[in-house]
Parts: sequence; C-alpha cells; structure tokens
Amino acid sequence: MRWVVPEAEHMAEGTLGCQGCGGALSMRLVLKELGQDAVAVLPACCWSIIDGPWPVHALDIPVLHTAFETAAVVATGVKAAKTVQGKDTTVVAWAGDGGTFDIGLQALSGAAERNEDILFICYDNEAYMNTGIQRSSSTPTGTWTTTTPDQRPEARPKKDIMGIIAAHRIPYAATATAAYPEDLERKVQNAVAIKGGMRFLHLLSVCPPGWKMEADQAIEVMRRAVRSKVFPLYEVRNGRDYTITHWPDDLPLEDYFSLQGRFKPLLGNDEMLELVRGNVEERWQTLLARHEASHPASVGSN
Amino acid sequence: MSGLDHVDNYPEIPVSLAPTSTVLKTGAWRSVRPVLKTRTAPCNAYCPAGISIPEYFDFLTQDRLEDAHSVFMERNPFPRITGRVCPRFCEHGCNLAVATDEEPLSIRSIERWLGDHTAEVPHPNPAEETGKQVAVVGAGPAGMAAAYYLRRSGHKVTVFDRRELAGGILRYGIPEYRLPTEIVDNEVRKLENMGVEFRTRLALGADLKLEDLEAAYAAVFVATGATGQRSTGIAGESLLEPGLAFLEAANRNQVSLPGERCAVIGGGNTAMDVARMLQRMGAKVTVLYRRTLTEMPAIDEEYERAVEDGVEFHWLTLPRRVTKLGAKLLVTVEQMRLGTPDESGRRRPESTGIMREMRFDGVFSATGEKADTTPFPDRLRDAQGWLDLDVDGATKDPLVYAGGDLATGPATVIEAIVAGRNAARAIDAELGFSDRWPAVSPIDTVSPAEVNVTYVPHHDRADDPPAVTADPFAEETTTLTAADVLEEIDRCLSCGYCNSCGTCFVFCPDGAILWNNGPRIDHEFCKGCGICVAECPGHVMVLVNEREVSHA
Repeated sequence: MRWVVPEAEHMAEGTLGCQGCGGALSMRLVLKELGQDAVAVLPACCWSIIDGPWPVHALDIPVLHTAFETAAVVATGVKAAKTVQGKDTTVVAWAGDGGTFDIGLQALSGAAERNEDILFICYDNEAYMNTGIQRSSSTPTGTWTTTTPDQRPEARPKKDIMGIIAAHRIPYAATATAAYPEDLERKVQNAVAIKGGMRFLHLLSVCPPGWKMEADQAIEVMRRAVRSKVFPLYEVRNGRDYTITHWPDDLPLEDYFSLQGRFKPLLGNDEMLELVRGNVEERWQTLLARHEASHPASVGSN
Repeated sequence: MSGLDHVDNYPEIPVSLAPTSTVLKTGAWRSVRPVLKTRTAPCNAYCPAGISIPEYFDFLTQDRLEDAHSVFMERNPFPRITGRVCPRFCEHGCNLAVATDEEPLSIRSIERWLGDHTAEVPHPNPAEETGKQVAVVGAGPAGMAAAYYLRRSGHKVTVFDRRELAGGILRYGIPEYRLPTEIVDNEVRKLENMGVEFRTRLALGADLKLEDLEAAYAAVFVATGATGQRSTGIAGESLLEPGLAFLEAANRNQVSLPGERCAVIGGGNTAMDVARMLQRMGAKVTVLYRRTLTEMPAIDEEYERAVEDGVEFHWLTLPRRVTKLGAKLLVTVEQMRLGTPDESGRRRPESTGIMREMRFDGVFSATGEKADTTPFPDRLRDAQGWLDLDVDGATKDPLVYAGGDLATGPATVIEAIVAGRNAARAIDAELGFSDRWPAVSPIDTVSPAEVNVTYVPHHDRADDPPAVTADPFAEETTTLTAADVLEEIDRCLSCGYCNSCGTCFVFCPDGAILWNNGPRIDHEFCKGCGICVAECPGHVMVLVNEREVSHA
C-alpha cells in the first residue's frame, strides 16, 4: 500500500452511518492512530446512532454516551478517574458541530480554559444532520437547511471555532479532513503525543444527504473545500503559532459549492456569493499572515 | 483507608456485548455494488505487442524483477532493443497525459532499464522437444522473435541470413549511437544458448530455394525485410547514394564522407538516421523534404535529435534533377506548396514551378525501401506482386509464413517482433500445439474520463539521460537508475490494473474493504456509496447494479 495510513482496523463493519458518511470515515481514520488505551465520550450527535444500538457497538475502545452539552466535562471527569487509577488513557470527546459550536460550547470553553488533559474532536458536518438537517452556528453563509430554506438561506457566517479555541491558548489545535488522510493521521499523532493539556481537532466531515450530493463524491467535496480555501488545513500551537499544513491551489469556490445541492441558493445569488468570496479570502489572508508571523524564515518559500 | 478505594476497586463491566458487525449486515442497504475489474490500460492497447505495462510496473515496485521480466517476455523478447528504438506507441495513449497537463509516463525508458537489468538472465528452457524443425529466413527482429517463441515452444529452429552475422536491420541499419552492436550480439548469443541455430551467408533466392526449405522443414517463416531502394523519380538517380546501404557501410566502418556538404532526400526514419550519421561523421547535412514538419513521417524524437545534431531542414523542397558539376553535385529543386490531404490524411505537396539550384558533395536518397518478393512463387503473391497473407502471416501454402518489413514495407522493430510472435504462434498451432498460448483477452480500454488523477505526484518525467562522451558513435543516451524508475512508476495511474495502491481501502467509510496485500470488497457490509470507484486512480473498480448481480 502506498498510503502512510495504518492497516489495523479499530472500527467494526456494520455501523449505522449513511452511505458515504464523513463522520464514520473520520472516526475510522482517527482510531487508526489513537491507540487502544483510549475512551471516547459521545454527546448527542450522529455518532450516537452510528455506533449502533445496545448491546452492540462499533469501536474497539469504550464509548460513553452522554448529554448534548457535556462532552468536554464528562471527558474531563473520565480523565480524572483514569488519572486516579494511575492510567495514562487518552480520553477523547467526540462531538458534532452542534455539541461543539452550539450546545457544547460552554463545557468546551471551560475545559479549554482549565487546560484539561483531554482531546476534543469535532467532526463538523455543518448542521444538525441526524435530527433532520437543521442549521447550526457552523452552517456557512448561503446554505440551505430545513430551517434555512431556499427562500431564506443561512445569512450569518460560519462561527470561527478555531479562533475561539486558539483564544484559550491551549497547547494544540488543528483542522483536518479525511480527504487528506496522511495529514489527518499526523495531526492525531501530534494530538496524542502532547500530554497534560487540552488538544482540539476540527474535522470537516461530509454528510451526503445533508449536503444534498452524491455519496461517491464525498472525498472529492472535502478535497475541494481545502483546495478552494473554504477549509484550510493548519495547526495552532499554544494559540499563537500557526502552521499551514497543506497549500490550497486556487480552485474556484464555485467548484466546491456546485457539487452540493445545499448551496443552490448561494449559487443563485451573486451578491451573497461575492460576500462569501470576500469572507473566504479575508479568513485566508488572516491565516496566511499568522502563518508567516510564526515562520518568518519560510515566507515566500512554500 | 483512602476515600478512593471504591475507584481503585471498581469492577470492569461490559457496556456492550458485541461489535456492530454481528447483527447489522449493512450490505442489505445497497442498490449498486463495487467490483474489481481488470481492464486494458491505453498503453497496453496502443502497444503493437500488447504488453501488460501496468502489471510489470507493479512487479518492479514490489522488487520482483523476474516476474516483471517474464510478463514482458510473453509479448516481446527484446526489451533492451525496443527500450532504445521503439517509437513509443504506448506513451501516445497515456491517460495521464490526456487527463492532465502532465507528460506521459516514460514507459520506454523503464522498458530499457528492465532490459538492461535482465540482460544476463538466460532465456527459459524450451518446452518438451516436439521433434519438429522450423526454418526462419532472415535474422532481423521478426526472425529473431519468431525463433525465440518457436524454440521456447520446443521446436528446433534454424535461422538463415544472407549476411555474415545475425541481427539484420538491428545490426546493419540502426546506427551504433542509437543501438550498440554489443546488445544485438548479446541477444543472438542468448538465442543460441537456448538452442537456436544461426546459419549465415545464405541468401534466399541465390543460396536457398523456398521449395527446398519447405521439403526439409516442418514450416518456414520468411522475414527478409525491406532493404531495396525504391526509385526516387529524380533525373540523374544513379548519382544518388542509397541511404540504407550507406548506413550498413557506416555500421561496418567501411565508408568515408563524399565531402563536407551533404544532402539527404526524404523525411522518414531512414532519412533521419542517414542525416545524423553523416553529421556525426563531420558533414554539414541538409535534409530536403517535399512536405513540411507536420507531414513528415519520421518520429518526433529522431527529428528533434537531428536538429540537436545540427542537421538543417529545407521544407517543401522536391529534388527534380541531379547533375555532376566537377567534383560537386548540382541538385535542381522545385519549391512546393501544400494542397489537399492525400489518402494518408497528410497534405499533398503541389508544384509551384519555381526552381532553384543547390550544390552538394554527396546526395543520399532515403525516400523509402521496398521488399523483394521474387523468391516467392506467383501462387503466393497477389496481382500487385505483394505477398498474399493472413493476419498471422500465413501464405496460401500452410507450411510457409512471412512477416516483418517483407510483408508490411518499412515499419518499426516492435511491429516486426509482433509479426514474428504471431507467426510462431500460428506455426505452433499448425504443428498441433494450439492450446498452450494465452488467450487473447478482449480490449476494454480505460478512458481518460474514468481515471482519478488526484494522487499523481507532480514531478518531471524521467527520460534517458544523455551520455557524457566525446565519441560521436558511442551510445548517445544512458539508462535510468533504479531510483529514477521507481519514482517514474509512482506517476503511473495503473489504468485498469490493481497495483494495490490502497486508495479504496483508505477512503472506505465502512471499513468494508478488507486489506491483505490488496483489496477485497466485503459485500456483507458494503453500503454501495461508490467512493472506492470514484477515487480509484486507475478505475479498476466499477459499480454494478445489484439487481443484475442478484438475478445473474
């Protein structure tokens, strides 16, 4: 195999993810680098379903299902218990965008502020998918959801969760996506290796039904999000040091949006499209400036 | 007592009893299923010999040189030779070059590496002796290929040739700087070592009669090439030096320059060889061609190298008359213009009536060669005098076969090799051994629209590096290193052939592609999302409607 991705599987077949589920793929790839001494804490999210109904479940590691707003604090508690037991278990809070950006934000911010020794992973499919595709604060401008229909698409920009996390000055935060599996595996390794403080991974995670697209384009759409700068791949250490880990190639935004039915209102609204284009470019320039400030010697040599 | 004893002693309790796979057979959700399907890579389809190129590349990346070699030898026994002189039919079909702005895979250079690194690997032992004797007339690429496949099949083979050494066009036509004689010697030696007998200085017609060979051998394959000079239609033709004869003399070191200023008439590969050989001997060479570069039949690479050597080209220039002018030759040429396309699709040169004169010390004709079919009786020829042959080279006489340039007119080394192999297979069948050749699989070519070029690494194509030598007759290029070859193969999409790259395995959201040095699709759990099919670089997977499968 030519990919630097471990062959061992730690997620069983027969999960209840939809066809082409980015959440299932993200979990499968993360588990390959997480190690066996780990516990996953799941708030309400797609994975509450994907993991299967009792008495079966899908992961090689224990899973603790918990209430929507509590992923970070339950993970904090599990970690404390493991520490008392003298164990060095990696405790992962695995939450969707609802359990991270919206309902889980208070507990997340608290854990981050206390620099709890946990790994918080948000698999972000940009809406409340398993309850019927309602908008969340992660839903980008111009998106159709069942609560932001075509006539009144999402008007507000996607919440800058990485900015919020970086502001807590935690040791490690990174964006990643399953479309770049080697980059993803490396970031999981980095996150696991840094002990004693809070780590955060933000995974863009395709939802073919919610994004209104063909399941076989699931990898391609995530790849286009990165190439078009909609979802840049980078790491932030200690909330200050930014490193872009994959350089986008100026793929037109439209090539990302046009694969997905959820962006139909955006593609039909030039004013909104230009607003989005400006936001994407402004966020990219901000990121680029931070990267360059963190790597003064490498400026212009990417 | 510590207040935390209950934590230390808390019993482990099972929170679930079994993995999801025990009860959730998610394959039932599927309406389409992915299946692995080996198809034809365009390089393979474009190759006259049909070499399974992605397959031997895969063996090379696995460090399985012998397996790569034997895949290759099924179709072409001389990778060292074609790895140097083939016009690379394969590369013209490369999906990478069609689907992206990347250059095609450097397939010929990899073939050359394979040939050079298996040069000392002896040919396989022949199959059980059949007791049959086959005569091959002509020890060029067609005859040598036929000899290889016939001997490998267990027949006794005698190869006759009119010259003093075997090799034909490989030894006496292609210049040393393109194909060193040592390589031809080695191939002849390897054929001898497997028991092929070479008998030289025996010409068909003069020393050998076809009917005598028919009487003495179980079958005869004639591949005497096309070395006769076709008439140029130029007044004063006897003042012209025939190009192929010049190349033979040059390869024998038996030629001297007629003077510094030389002209070569023609635009084919012989013209390029003659022009470059003269230039390397110290002449200033001008090629006179009646059409333009676009219509010129010589392969691009040879034209480019001629330009690098300093050869000048005069387009739309048709010599009409050659006369002696003291020690010089005066060539009267007519300026041509392009007219309507001819039957080959190339635009036809038309007269303008504008004449001019040019002076040279020597003028060489390379306007095409023709085959000599006079040793064949009339009943084996058609009304035009051509041999009457089927696709395998069988004449109307079941014992006599013909192929190579003799049958086709001047063509390429690989086409001659294919003719030799086809004739060997047909003769083997005629002698009663029809079922031991691999079945010809139908061509089902992967199109550029089907491949996924996302994972191709972007780096420059690896061509044969130029040789560092002051000797103009030494081989002008060298062979890639093993590291270069592996890096180049990394660019290959492996169209239609699973090279176990792992892309399908990595991206399956359901873990339903099981991995054991290669993929196996677990249809019990595959939900049919189609990601594996969409992401597969070489489109080795296709989606099949479940209804068709379950009703099959």
